[in-house]
Amino acid sequence: MASVLSGALRLWNVAGTITISGSGLELTHADAAIQDLTPLRIMPRTPHGWLIVRGAETLGVHAGLPGLLRQLREELAPNVKAGRLIIGAQSLL
Amino acid sequence: MTALPVSVITGFLGSGKTTLLSRLLRDPAFARTAVIINEFGAVGLDHLLVESSDEQILMLEGGCVCCTVRGDLVRTAGDLLARRAAGAITPFERIVVETTGLAEPAPIVHALMTDRDIADALRLESVIATVDAATGAATLDAHPESVKQAALADCIVVTKSDLADPAANGLAARLQALNPGAPKLTAVRGAVDASRLFQGTYDPARYDPALYEAPAHRHGSISTFCLRRDKPLHAATLSLFLQVVAEHCGAKLLRLKGLVDVVESPGRPAVIHGVQHVFHPPAWLDGWPDNDRSTRIVVISQGLDARWLQDLLEVLEEEVNACSIS
Repeated sequence: MASVLSGALRLWNVAGTITISGSGLELTHADAAIQDLTPLRIMPRTPHGWLIVRGAETLGVHAGLPGLLRQLREELAPNVKAGRLIIGAQSLL
Repeated sequence: MTALPVSVITGFLGSGKTTLLSRLLRDPAFARTAVIINEFGAVGLDHLLVESSDEQILMLEGGCVCCTVRGDLVRTAGDLLARRAAGAITPFERIVVETTGLAEPAPIVHALMTDRDIADALRLESVIATVDAATGAATLDAHPESVKQAALADCIVVTKSDLADPAANGLAARLQALNPGAPKLTAVRGAVDASRLFQGTYDPARYDPALYEAPAHRHGSISTFCLRRDKPLHAATLSLFLQVVAEHCGAKLLRLKGLVDVVESPGRPAVIHGVQHVFHPPAWLDGWPDNDRSTRIVVISQGLDARWLQDLLEVLEEEVNACSIS
Protein backbone atom coordinates (compact mmCIF):
# COMPACT_ATOMS: atom_id res chain seq x y z
CA MET A 1 0.00 0.00 0.00
CA ALA A 2 2.81 2.41 0.86
CA SER A 3 4.45 1.85 -2.51
CA VAL A 4 1.17 2.45 -4.32
CA LEU A 5 0.71 5.78 -2.54
CA SER A 6 4.34 6.77 -3.09
CA GLY A 7 3.97 5.98 -6.77
CA ALA A 8 0.77 7.99 -6.93
CA LEU A 9 2.55 11.03 -5.51
CA ARG A 10 5.21 10.71 -8.21
CA LEU A 11 2.50 10.35 -10.83
CA TRP A 12 0.90 13.60 -9.68
CA ASN A 13 4.27 15.36 -9.28
CA VAL A 14 3.60 15.90 -5.59
CA ALA A 15 6.68 16.21 -3.40
CA GLY A 16 5.94 14.00 -0.44
CA THR A 17 6.82 10.91 1.51
CA ILE A 18 4.87 7.98 2.86
CA THR A 19 5.89 6.43 6.16
CA ILE A 20 4.36 3.62 8.13
CA SER A 21 2.77 4.97 11.29
CA GLY A 22 1.15 2.53 13.69
CA SER A 23 -1.50 0.60 11.83
CA GLY A 24 -1.69 3.17 9.08
CA LEU A 25 0.40 5.41 6.89
CA GLU A 26 1.46 9.01 7.20
CA LEU A 27 1.73 11.20 4.16
CA THR A 28 3.96 14.22 4.53
CA HIS A 29 3.96 16.62 1.63
CA ALA A 30 5.67 19.86 0.85
CA ASP A 31 3.84 21.17 -2.13
CA ALA A 32 3.94 24.96 -2.07
CA ALA A 33 0.55 25.10 -3.75
CA ILE A 34 -1.12 23.36 -0.80
CA GLN A 35 -1.57 25.74 2.11
CA ASP A 36 -2.19 23.22 4.85
CA LEU A 37 0.93 21.10 5.15
CA THR A 38 -0.30 19.09 8.11
CA PRO A 39 0.53 15.44 7.37
CA LEU A 40 -2.33 13.26 6.28
CA ARG A 41 -2.87 9.95 7.99
CA ILE A 42 -4.27 7.05 6.00
CA MET A 43 -5.91 4.73 8.50
CA PRO A 44 -7.38 1.30 7.81
CA ARG A 45 -11.07 1.12 8.50
CA THR A 46 -12.92 -1.90 9.90
CA PRO A 47 -14.01 -4.20 8.32
CA HIS A 48 -12.36 -2.78 5.20
CA GLY A 49 -11.60 0.51 3.60
CA TRP A 50 -9.65 3.61 4.50
CA LEU A 51 -9.96 6.85 6.44
CA ILE A 52 -8.10 10.04 5.54
CA VAL A 53 -7.39 12.12 8.62
CA ARG A 54 -5.74 15.52 8.93
CA GLY A 55 -5.05 16.43 12.55
CA ALA A 56 -8.30 15.63 14.34
CA GLU A 57 -10.44 16.01 11.25
CA THR A 58 -11.61 13.08 9.15
CA LEU A 59 -11.43 14.21 5.55
CA GLY A 60 -12.83 11.12 3.93
CA VAL A 61 -13.99 7.54 4.32
CA HIS A 62 -13.42 5.16 1.45
CA ALA A 63 -14.40 1.58 0.79
CA GLY A 64 -11.24 0.95 -1.18
CA LEU A 65 -8.16 2.21 -2.92
CA PRO A 66 -9.85 3.88 -5.94
CA GLY A 67 -11.77 6.33 -3.78
CA LEU A 68 -8.77 6.92 -1.54
CA LEU A 69 -6.54 7.76 -4.50
CA ARG A 70 -9.18 10.06 -5.96
CA GLN A 71 -9.50 12.11 -2.78
CA LEU A 72 -5.75 12.28 -2.26
CA ARG A 73 -5.31 13.59 -5.77
CA GLU A 74 -8.03 16.17 -5.21
CA GLU A 75 -6.40 17.25 -1.94
CA LEU A 76 -2.80 17.26 -3.06
CA ALA A 77 -2.87 17.80 -6.79
CA PRO A 78 -6.10 19.57 -7.64
CA ASN A 79 -4.69 20.77 -10.94
CA VAL A 80 -3.96 17.29 -12.22
CA LYS A 81 -6.64 16.42 -14.71
CA ALA A 82 -8.53 13.23 -13.96
CA GLY A 83 -9.17 10.80 -16.77
CA ARG A 84 -12.29 8.75 -17.14
CA LEU A 85 -12.49 5.17 -18.31
CA ILE A 86 -14.43 4.85 -21.54
CA ILE A 87 -15.51 1.48 -22.82
CA GLY A 88 -16.13 1.66 -26.54
CA ALA A 89 -18.89 -0.18 -28.35
CA GLN A 90 -16.70 -2.26 -30.62
CA SER A 91 -15.99 -5.88 -30.00
CA LEU A 92 -12.30 -6.67 -29.88
CA LEU A 93 -12.47 -10.08 -31.54
CA MET B 1 -25.02 -6.28 -38.84
CA THR B 2 -21.41 -7.34 -39.33
CA ALA B 3 -18.97 -4.61 -38.37
CA LEU B 4 -16.63 -3.54 -41.14
CA PRO B 5 -12.92 -3.48 -40.37
CA VAL B 6 -11.29 -0.07 -40.23
CA SER B 7 -7.54 0.38 -40.12
CA VAL B 8 -5.37 3.42 -39.58
CA ILE B 9 -2.14 4.02 -41.50
CA THR B 10 0.04 6.44 -39.65
CA GLY B 11 3.68 7.41 -39.90
CA PHE B 12 5.79 10.52 -40.05
CA LEU B 13 5.97 12.91 -43.00
CA GLY B 14 7.53 11.24 -46.00
CA SER B 15 7.69 7.81 -44.42
CA GLY B 16 5.80 6.15 -47.25
CA LYS B 17 2.18 5.97 -46.11
CA THR B 18 0.71 6.94 -49.46
CA THR B 19 3.07 4.66 -51.39
CA LEU B 20 2.10 1.77 -49.14
CA LEU B 21 -1.58 2.55 -49.55
CA SER B 22 -1.32 2.91 -53.30
CA ARG B 23 0.44 -0.41 -53.62
CA LEU B 24 -2.05 -2.04 -51.32
CA LEU B 25 -5.02 -0.92 -53.36
CA ARG B 26 -3.50 -2.48 -56.46
CA ASP B 27 -3.62 -5.86 -54.73
CA PRO B 28 -6.87 -7.51 -55.86
CA ALA B 29 -7.41 -8.80 -52.33
CA PHE B 30 -7.66 -5.23 -51.06
CA ALA B 31 -9.29 -3.56 -54.03
CA ARG B 32 -12.59 -3.23 -52.22
CA THR B 33 -11.20 -0.76 -49.75
CA ALA B 34 -12.55 2.70 -49.06
CA VAL B 35 -9.88 5.22 -48.18
CA ILE B 36 -10.05 8.38 -46.12
CA ILE B 37 -6.95 10.50 -46.57
CA ASN B 38 -6.15 13.36 -44.24
CA GLU B 39 -3.74 16.01 -45.45
CA PHE B 40 -2.60 18.95 -43.42
CA GLY B 41 -2.07 21.32 -46.32
CA ALA B 42 -4.78 23.53 -47.73
CA VAL B 43 -4.72 21.60 -51.01
CA GLY B 44 -4.54 17.84 -50.75
CA LEU B 45 -2.34 15.96 -53.17
CA ASP B 46 -1.99 12.50 -51.72
CA HIS B 47 -5.27 11.27 -53.16
CA LEU B 48 -3.92 12.01 -56.63
CA LEU B 49 -1.12 9.58 -55.97
CA VAL B 50 -3.38 6.77 -54.91
CA GLU B 51 -4.64 4.72 -57.79
CA SER B 52 -8.16 3.66 -57.09
CA SER B 53 -11.70 4.58 -58.03
CA ASP B 54 -12.35 8.17 -57.04
CA GLU B 55 -15.65 7.38 -55.41
CA GLN B 56 -13.93 5.43 -52.67
CA ILE B 57 -11.27 7.95 -51.79
CA LEU B 58 -12.30 10.82 -49.60
CA MET B 59 -10.15 13.70 -48.50
CA LEU B 60 -10.07 15.44 -45.17
CA GLU B 61 -8.27 18.69 -45.75
CA GLY B 62 -7.46 21.84 -43.87
CA GLY B 63 -6.47 20.31 -40.57
CA CYS B 64 -5.09 17.32 -38.80
CA VAL B 65 -7.42 14.42 -38.12
CA CYS B 66 -6.14 13.94 -34.58
CA CYS B 67 -7.22 17.43 -33.57
CA THR B 68 -9.14 19.84 -35.75
CA VAL B 69 -10.96 17.57 -38.17
CA ARG B 70 -11.76 14.60 -35.94
CA GLY B 71 -15.47 15.33 -36.35
CA ASP B 72 -14.98 15.35 -40.09
CA LEU B 73 -13.48 11.88 -39.91
CA VAL B 74 -16.52 10.56 -38.10
CA ARG B 75 -18.89 12.27 -40.53
CA THR B 76 -16.95 11.04 -43.53
CA ALA B 77 -16.88 7.47 -42.26
CA GLY B 78 -20.58 7.69 -41.48
CA ASP B 79 -21.26 9.04 -44.95
CA LEU B 80 -19.30 6.22 -46.55
CA LEU B 81 -21.27 3.66 -44.59
CA ALA B 82 -24.57 5.28 -45.53
CA ARG B 83 -23.67 5.37 -49.22
CA ARG B 84 -22.57 1.76 -49.07
CA ALA B 85 -25.83 0.74 -47.40
CA ALA B 86 -27.81 2.62 -50.05
CA GLY B 87 -25.91 0.93 -52.86
CA ALA B 88 -24.64 4.29 -54.09
CA ILE B 89 -21.01 3.12 -54.22
CA THR B 90 -19.17 -0.10 -54.78
CA PRO B 91 -19.66 -2.15 -51.62
CA PHE B 92 -16.26 -1.86 -49.99
CA GLU B 93 -15.15 -4.40 -47.43
CA ARG B 94 -12.74 -2.31 -45.41
CA ILE B 95 -11.95 1.30 -44.59
CA VAL B 96 -8.41 2.58 -44.32
CA VAL B 97 -7.71 5.98 -42.79
CA GLU B 98 -4.40 7.57 -43.76
CA THR B 99 -3.42 10.19 -41.22
CA THR B 100 -1.23 13.22 -41.66
CA GLY B 101 2.41 12.71 -40.86
CA LEU B 102 2.09 14.77 -37.72
CA ALA B 103 -0.98 13.04 -36.29
CA GLU B 104 -1.06 11.25 -33.00
CA PRO B 105 -2.98 8.06 -33.61
CA ALA B 106 -4.68 7.80 -30.21
CA PRO B 107 -7.42 10.43 -30.74
CA ILE B 108 -8.22 8.92 -34.12
CA VAL B 109 -8.53 5.46 -32.62
CA HIS B 110 -10.70 6.90 -29.85
CA ALA B 111 -13.04 8.45 -32.38
CA LEU B 112 -13.35 5.24 -34.34
CA MET B 113 -13.91 3.17 -31.19
CA THR B 114 -16.39 5.35 -29.40
CA ASP B 115 -18.34 7.66 -31.66
CA ARG B 116 -21.91 6.47 -31.43
CA ASP B 117 -22.66 7.16 -35.08
CA ILE B 118 -20.04 4.77 -36.42
CA ALA B 119 -18.64 2.61 -33.62
CA ASP B 120 -21.33 -0.05 -33.96
CA ALA B 121 -20.77 -0.36 -37.68
CA LEU B 122 -16.98 -0.46 -37.62
CA ARG B 123 -14.39 -2.67 -35.98
CA LEU B 124 -10.93 -1.34 -35.37
CA GLU B 125 -8.73 -3.77 -37.21
CA SER B 126 -5.20 -2.51 -37.13
CA VAL B 127 -3.01 0.52 -36.58
CA ILE B 128 -0.14 0.42 -39.06
CA ALA B 129 2.85 2.72 -38.72
CA THR B 130 5.32 3.38 -41.49
CA VAL B 131 8.91 4.23 -40.57
CA ASP B 132 11.51 5.31 -43.10
CA ALA B 133 14.53 2.98 -42.99
CA ALA B 134 16.90 5.78 -43.91
CA THR B 135 15.61 8.67 -41.83
CA GLY B 136 13.52 6.88 -39.22
CA ALA B 137 16.11 6.93 -36.44
CA ALA B 138 16.65 10.66 -36.75
CA THR B 139 12.91 11.21 -36.91
CA LEU B 140 12.41 9.23 -33.71
CA ASP B 141 15.00 11.46 -32.06
CA ALA B 142 13.51 14.70 -33.23
CA HIS B 143 9.76 14.20 -33.36
CA PRO B 144 7.80 12.75 -30.43
CA GLU B 145 4.81 12.23 -32.72
CA SER B 146 6.77 9.60 -34.63
CA VAL B 147 7.61 7.78 -31.41
CA LYS B 148 3.95 7.60 -30.44
CA GLN B 149 2.99 6.45 -33.92
CA ALA B 150 5.38 3.50 -33.71
CA ALA B 151 4.59 2.74 -30.07
CA LEU B 152 0.85 2.55 -30.68
CA ALA B 153 1.01 0.46 -33.83
CA ASP B 154 -0.21 -3.09 -34.19
CA CYS B 155 2.16 -3.46 -37.10
CA ILE B 156 5.23 -1.45 -38.14
CA VAL B 157 6.26 -1.24 -41.77
CA VAL B 158 9.85 -0.17 -42.34
CA THR B 159 9.80 1.49 -45.73
CA LYS B 160 12.54 2.28 -48.23
CA SER B 161 14.56 -0.68 -47.06
CA ASP B 162 16.32 -0.60 -50.42
CA LEU B 163 17.92 2.68 -49.34
CA ALA B 164 19.14 1.71 -45.90
CA ASP B 165 19.48 -1.37 -43.75
CA PRO B 166 17.39 -0.87 -40.59
CA ALA B 167 19.40 -3.54 -38.79
CA ALA B 168 22.70 -1.90 -39.58
CA ASN B 169 21.71 1.63 -38.64
CA GLY B 170 20.10 0.62 -35.37
CA LEU B 171 16.53 1.45 -36.35
CA ALA B 172 15.37 -2.16 -36.08
CA ALA B 173 16.62 -2.44 -32.51
CA ARG B 174 14.98 0.84 -31.54
CA LEU B 175 11.64 -0.18 -32.97
CA GLN B 176 11.90 -3.50 -31.19
CA ALA B 177 12.54 -1.71 -27.90
CA LEU B 178 9.70 0.68 -28.53
CA ASN B 179 7.07 -1.85 -29.49
CA PRO B 180 8.29 -5.43 -28.98
CA GLY B 181 4.97 -7.06 -29.76
CA ALA B 182 4.30 -5.46 -33.12
CA PRO B 183 5.39 -7.39 -36.20
CA LYS B 184 7.98 -5.47 -38.21
CA LEU B 185 7.60 -5.76 -41.94
CA THR B 186 9.88 -4.28 -44.55
CA ALA B 187 8.69 -2.65 -47.71
CA VAL B 188 10.39 -1.64 -50.91
CA ARG B 189 8.39 0.93 -52.88
CA GLY B 190 5.33 0.00 -50.90
CA ALA B 191 5.54 -3.71 -51.61
CA VAL B 192 4.80 -5.67 -48.48
CA ASP B 193 3.06 -8.87 -47.46
CA ALA B 194 -0.34 -7.24 -47.22
CA SER B 195 -1.96 -10.21 -45.51
CA ARG B 196 0.20 -9.50 -42.44
CA LEU B 197 -0.87 -5.88 -42.19
CA PHE B 198 -4.41 -6.53 -41.11
CA GLN B 199 -4.15 -9.18 -38.44
CA GLY B 200 -6.26 -7.35 -35.93
CA THR B 201 -5.55 -5.83 -32.56
CA TYR B 202 -5.64 -9.20 -30.82
CA ASP B 203 -2.76 -11.50 -31.65
CA PRO B 204 -1.79 -14.16 -29.09
CA ALA B 205 1.84 -13.92 -30.15
CA ARG B 206 2.05 -10.41 -28.73
CA TYR B 207 1.51 -11.71 -25.20
CA ASP B 208 4.67 -13.76 -25.15
CA PRO B 209 6.31 -12.57 -21.92
CA ALA B 210 9.75 -13.22 -23.39
CA LEU B 211 9.22 -10.14 -25.52
CA TYR B 212 9.00 -7.98 -22.43
CA GLU B 213 11.53 -9.48 -20.08
CA ALA B 214 12.71 -7.10 -17.39
CA PRO B 215 14.14 -4.59 -17.30
CA ALA B 216 11.44 -2.77 -19.15
CA HIS B 217 12.28 -1.82 -22.68
CA ARG B 218 12.96 1.88 -22.91
CA HIS B 219 13.02 4.29 -25.76
CA GLY B 220 13.54 7.76 -24.41
CA SER B 221 10.57 8.47 -22.21
CA ILE B 222 8.58 5.55 -23.59
CA SER B 223 8.81 2.18 -21.92
CA THR B 224 7.20 -1.15 -22.59
CA PHE B 225 6.74 -3.80 -19.95
CA CYS B 226 4.59 -6.75 -19.04
CA LEU B 227 2.76 -7.20 -15.75
CA ARG B 228 2.39 -10.83 -14.77
CA ARG B 229 0.33 -12.67 -12.20
CA ASP B 230 0.15 -16.38 -11.66
CA LYS B 231 -3.06 -16.43 -9.62
CA PRO B 232 -6.38 -15.45 -11.17
CA LEU B 233 -7.87 -12.01 -10.56
CA HIS B 234 -11.43 -11.22 -9.62
CA ALA B 235 -13.40 -9.52 -12.38
CA ALA B 236 -14.03 -6.62 -10.00
CA THR B 237 -10.27 -6.17 -9.58
CA LEU B 238 -9.79 -5.95 -13.31
CA SER B 239 -12.55 -3.36 -13.58
CA LEU B 240 -11.15 -1.28 -10.70
CA PHE B 241 -7.62 -1.54 -12.07
CA LEU B 242 -8.67 -0.19 -15.45
CA GLN B 243 -10.65 2.60 -13.78
CA VAL B 244 -7.73 3.68 -11.62
CA VAL B 245 -5.29 3.54 -14.52
CA ALA B 246 -7.62 5.55 -16.75
CA GLU B 247 -8.27 8.09 -14.01
CA HIS B 248 -4.72 8.70 -12.86
CA CYS B 249 -2.41 7.80 -15.69
CA GLY B 250 -4.03 9.87 -18.40
CA ALA B 251 -2.00 10.31 -21.53
CA LYS B 252 1.00 8.63 -19.92
CA LEU B 253 -0.67 5.35 -20.76
CA LEU B 254 -0.25 4.91 -24.49
CA ARG B 255 -1.55 1.41 -24.82
CA LEU B 256 -2.53 -1.49 -22.60
CA LYS B 257 -3.41 -4.97 -23.75
CA GLY B 258 -3.62 -8.17 -21.88
CA LEU B 259 -4.73 -11.71 -21.36
CA VAL B 260 -6.29 -11.99 -17.92
CA ASP B 261 -7.06 -15.09 -15.88
CA VAL B 262 -10.34 -14.19 -14.20
CA VAL B 263 -11.58 -16.05 -11.10
CA GLU B 264 -15.16 -16.07 -12.34
CA SER B 265 -14.22 -17.44 -15.76
CA PRO B 266 -11.91 -20.39 -15.26
CA GLY B 267 -10.23 -21.56 -18.43
CA ARG B 268 -11.65 -18.68 -20.46
CA PRO B 269 -9.27 -15.74 -20.25
CA ALA B 270 -10.35 -12.18 -20.89
CA VAL B 271 -8.66 -10.14 -23.58
CA ILE B 272 -8.38 -6.47 -22.72
CA HIS B 273 -7.22 -3.71 -24.98
CA GLY B 274 -7.13 0.03 -24.57
CA VAL B 275 -5.57 3.12 -26.07
CA GLN B 276 -5.00 5.64 -23.29
CA HIS B 277 -8.29 5.74 -21.36
CA VAL B 278 -10.49 4.20 -24.06
CA PHE B 279 -10.97 0.43 -24.00
CA HIS B 280 -12.76 -2.18 -25.99
CA PRO B 281 -15.25 -4.21 -23.97
CA PRO B 282 -13.34 -7.22 -22.61
CA ALA B 283 -13.56 -10.21 -24.93
CA TRP B 284 -13.57 -13.78 -23.70
CA LEU B 285 -11.59 -16.54 -25.33
CA ASP B 286 -12.81 -20.13 -25.36
CA GLY B 287 -9.46 -21.23 -24.01
CA TRP B 288 -5.88 -20.16 -23.47
CA PRO B 289 -3.93 -19.59 -26.67
CA ASP B 290 -0.80 -21.28 -25.29
CA ASN B 291 0.45 -23.27 -22.31
CA ASP B 292 1.05 -20.17 -20.21
CA ARG B 293 -1.97 -19.70 -17.93
CA SER B 294 -0.75 -16.56 -16.20
CA THR B 295 -2.23 -13.09 -16.52
CA ARG B 296 -0.11 -10.97 -18.85
CA ILE B 297 -0.78 -7.28 -19.24
CA VAL B 298 1.42 -5.44 -21.71
CA VAL B 299 1.80 -1.72 -21.11
CA ILE B 300 3.31 0.84 -23.46
CA SER B 301 3.65 4.07 -21.55
CA GLN B 302 5.33 7.39 -21.29
CA GLY B 303 6.75 7.49 -17.79
CA LEU B 304 4.64 4.94 -15.92
CA ASP B 305 6.35 2.74 -13.38
CA ALA B 306 5.93 -1.00 -13.92
CA ARG B 307 6.35 -1.69 -10.22
CA TRP B 308 3.63 0.81 -9.33
CA LEU B 309 1.14 -0.77 -11.70
CA GLN B 310 2.01 -4.25 -10.43
CA ASP B 311 1.59 -3.13 -6.80
CA LEU B 312 -1.68 -1.40 -7.67
CA LEU B 313 -3.01 -4.61 -9.15
CA GLU B 314 -1.99 -6.60 -6.08
CA VAL B 315 -3.50 -4.14 -3.57
CA LEU B 316 -6.76 -3.96 -5.49
CA GLU B 317 -6.97 -7.74 -5.60
CA GLU B 318 -6.28 -7.92 -1.87
CA GLU B 319 -9.11 -5.48 -1.21
CA VAL B 320 -11.58 -7.26 -3.48
CA ASN B 321 -10.58 -10.59 -1.99
CA ALA B 322 -11.12 -9.25 1.53
CA CYS B 323 -14.56 -7.97 0.59
CA SER B 324 -15.56 -11.25 -1.02
CA ILE B 325 -14.45 -13.25 2.03
CA SER B 326 -16.02 -11.02 4.71
